[in-house]
Amino acid sequence: MRMRTTSSLLALLLVGSAFRSTEAQDPRLSNRLDAPTRKALSAIVDSARAQGIPVEPLMEKVYQGLAMGADGSRIVVAVRSLTFEMGNAHRVLGAVATTDELKAAASAVHAGVPAVELGKMKKQSGLRRSLTLPFTVLADIVSRGVPVSAATNAIKSLVGAGAKDKDISDFQRNVSVDIEKGAQPAAAAETRAKGAVVPAAKADNREHE
Amino acid sequence: MPDWGRTTLELMVQELQHPIRLDESFDRRVMVRVRRAHAERRHRGIIGWLGAATNISRRPAWAAALAACVVAVISVGIFRKTPPQVPSGQAIPVQFVLVAPDAHSVTVVGDFNNWGLNDTALVAENHNGVWSVSAPVHTGVHRYAFLVNGKQWVADPTAPRAADDDFGQPSSALVVEASTQ
Repeated sequence: MRMRTTSSLLALLLVGSAFRSTEAQDPRLSNRLDAPTRKALSAIVDSARAQGIPVEPLMEKVYQGLAMGADGSRIVVAVRSLTFEMGNAHRVLGAVATTDELKAAASAVHAGVPAVELGKMKKQSGLRRSLTLPFTVLADIVSRGVPVSAATNAIKSLVGAGAKDKDISDFQRNVSVDIEKGAQPAAAAETRAKGAVVPAAKADNREHE
Repeated sequence: MPDWGRTTLELMVQELQHPIRLDESFDRRVMVRVRRAHAERRHRGIIGWLGAATNISRRPAWAAALAACVVAVISVGIFRKTPPQVPSGQAIPVQFVLVAPDAHSVTVVGDFNNWGLNDTALVAENHNGVWSVSAPVHTGVHRYAFLVNGKQWVADPTAPRAADDDFGQPSSALVVEASTQ
């Protein structure tokens, strides 16, 4: 009886690992890439999978590189960088983060936002609030020249005040227009965040009444 | 403790210390009862066996290993389910617009069409330079860009920038929420 139970468990584990190994040989990697690039990417993808990082965004990065005419080594560097950034995001956001949140968070990390700040935002907002859009907007305004601390504070204040995704989209649009018109990026973000927080908080209060 | 309590306790201890004499047939009678109970259980069949109480003996190490396996299997199920590996949301029509009066062709290329260069072409109705297309996009976050005249990459001026322009070309970010329907 004892032997039979042990054998069943071992068989279960072996079947599981064999499936994962087959899964690692993604056919989409083999069609349009040379052998060294394919080998390097397969290793990165397998490593990401082993860390629990979703691999679909990595595949999308490969496709983007191919579409934009990048050579194999550049694609490998980009995918490795994305894996590192998603790994950082995964560590601070935890297993509750969705693939989209991780992808958006990796973009913010790439822009220069410390991953730990993203983790704080996730804790502040709770499990139900998706931070995909806030992280996307954070990456956007940093790439437009808003200093990381000012951008992080602005998004934190919006999320903390219960701003909806639409409010945060409006905030992004307003900040980008202000910057295009010549405003100092930090001032634009701080001013627009103040304007967005008050209506968001009022709307939230009305919903509770 | 009051005296009455102490006295009672002493009496109980004395009684418990007093040896009990068993008669000589005691062992034999116990064994007869045990064999009878065992025989009755064997005759109750599978239903009786399922309902009967049974002692299960396992080594602690095996019990710990079994528990670890159960936790691992459940955890893998939970953690793999939480961050879905593929976009599993429904496709929602999204309109892409680019103003490009001098363009001969415009396509939109991104995560949602696996960066297929010619998969989603924009159309300039009335030839007024406003190119647009409505394409189904799964819920989630996507990177994309416009390809003008088959060679020039252009980010969407109305969308957030994708910060990770690893290939030296601009791109944009699109977040499609289920609630935008």
